[in-house]
Amino acid sequence: MTTITAGIPVSRPKPIARPTPIAWLLAPALLLFVLFFVLPFGVMAAMSVFSANPVTNPNAFLTTRHYERFIFDSAGIYHDALWATLRIGLITTIVSLLIGYPLAHWMARMQSRLGHALVLMAVIAPMLTGIVVRTFAWMTILQDKGVVNTLLLQWGVIGKPLPLMYNEFGTVVALVHIYVPFMVLTLTGVIGRIDERLEQAARSLGAGRLRAFVEVTLPLSLPGILAGSLLVFALSISAYVTPSLMGGTDVLTLPMLIAQQVGTSFNPNFAGALGVILLLVSLAIVVAYNRILARLSGEQGLA
Amino acid sequence: MTAPTQTVVNKPPFDAGRAAYLALNFVLLFFLLAPIAIVLVFALNPTPYISFPPVGVSLRWFQKFFANPEFINALLLSLWVAGCVLVLSIVIGGACALALTRGNLPGRTILTAFFMSPLMVPAILTGLALFQSFLLAGIGRPVWGLILAHTLVAVPYVIRTTLAVLHNFDRRIEEAAAVLGASPTRVFFEVTLPLIRPGVFAGGVFAFIVSFDQFPVSLFLVVPKGETLPVVLFNYMKFDLDGAIAAASMVSILLALSVVLVLERLIGLKAYVKL
Repeated sequence: MTTITAGIPVSRPKPIARPTPIAWLLAPALLLFVLFFVLPFGVMAAMSVFSANPVTNPNAFLTTRHYERFIFDSAGIYHDALWATLRIGLITTIVSLLIGYPLAHWMARMQSRLGHALVLMAVIAPMLTGIVVRTFAWMTILQDKGVVNTLLLQWGVIGKPLPLMYNEFGTVVALVHIYVPFMVLTLTGVIGRIDERLEQAARSLGAGRLRAFVEVTLPLSLPGILAGSLLVFALSISAYVTPSLMGGTDVLTLPMLIAQQVGTSFNPNFAGALGVILLLVSLAIVVAYNRILARLSGEQGLA
Repeated sequence: MTAPTQTVVNKPPFDAGRAAYLALNFVLLFFLLAPIAIVLVFALNPTPYISFPPVGVSLRWFQKFFANPEFINALLLSLWVAGCVLVLSIVIGGACALALTRGNLPGRTILTAFFMSPLMVPAILTGLALFQSFLLAGIGRPVWGLILAHTLVAVPYVIRTTLAVLHNFDRRIEEAAAVLGASPTRVFFEVTLPLIRPGVFAGGVFAFIVSFDQFPVSLFLVVPKGETLPVVLFNYMKFDLDGAIAAASMVSILLALSVVLVLERLIGLKAYVKL
């Protein structure tokens, strides 16, 4: 924050101009971010080490018991929740990659501009409908009387409805649908920058289409795969709506646990500790994601 | 999954690999789009429970939606909040982007990353952190708090789109205006502002949708009887899955779409034509 008010350039090789009066236009945004972003996360961290609300309760004391409660986890729920969160995130990421890659590849290598625009629209359209609406759509598809079960029953493929929802399967399917556009958009950019002639060269040297793809394009798109996967993973471990509607009583994730602590247990201090843990996990992922993207654009600059 | 193999465009009469590749991609597109189409089907299907195949076309779920004061109040609150967020984020985000490009500020890259960071943090934690802050401050959960919370997560979109426009901005146009005798204020209002307007409003459209569809940030910040539409739908869906939710979904999709179109018509297209 101090970098803004300190207008005097220190130890810069090139003399830079002082901030112009236009710099004041930053003030409203800065105020909003300090009051509604920096401060609240400070409050969250502070709450996580207090026994109770330190403002209203004079007996509140500093404690690490909320973290201990999570770490030692006598009932075994919290570790299960963390593990379920990471597992759902991981499966969602892998499936999103398997679904997203062909689409991204198709988009990146499409010759026709119109076709490209149409596919791009189809990928972005789901992003413009809310998470709640998209989760509802999957509930109508996967529930016992849903589209899939009704059709399979009618065709006589199954005798009784398959348990497609209120479990991890349904959760992952809906999460994949919600986050696969992020995967496609990240991958398309990276695949689009791979020189198509490299693959053509491999093919003219006798490699089959599959071999040319596996040995040339796929390795070159690895950074995109990593970046897209980290993004989808970070998004899906912080999802709340989809696991709680699609998972039923079968699924308990960290965000659901946080909502429970706020809503039913009314323990904002423990919720704060859980929040800090989730924040640390997802920040680590986001930092890695940014590193990869930065290195990618750096390489691009050299090329 | 079959690996996508086709990249080289050669034109044999029939290419099985290419056909499989295309078929796979059309299946994936279907996976992306079908769920949204299905919502429309259920919104129009008159049976009391979600059932497939649809038996007819009726507007009874739309009637049920519009006759339910809980839905309507939530819809109006969501629209009010999203409208305020639209205006606030355009002003705050537009100003911020201008300051970042024109302010000669030190540490610009870090500042820009800082203003993008609400998108990097799980939204449910932003909601939790704000909930706890409101709790400590003892201010309850006011609507203005919800509006500013949504503005926080919407502003990065406006900053991003405005920065993109400012990036391609030819500053000589401003210099020309100044040389011709326009005061700095006049240059700003008659040259700079109209030129960055498309970027600002494109961001504003995003801001509106982000707020209107917002769930994780709202979850802890709404009060009973004062919930936004996504929260009301979420609570309803925990117990009941009928066409009213489908109708509500359609209404919110159509509203978001019409805001995009109206803004595009009113400001977007004209501004782009001017550019």
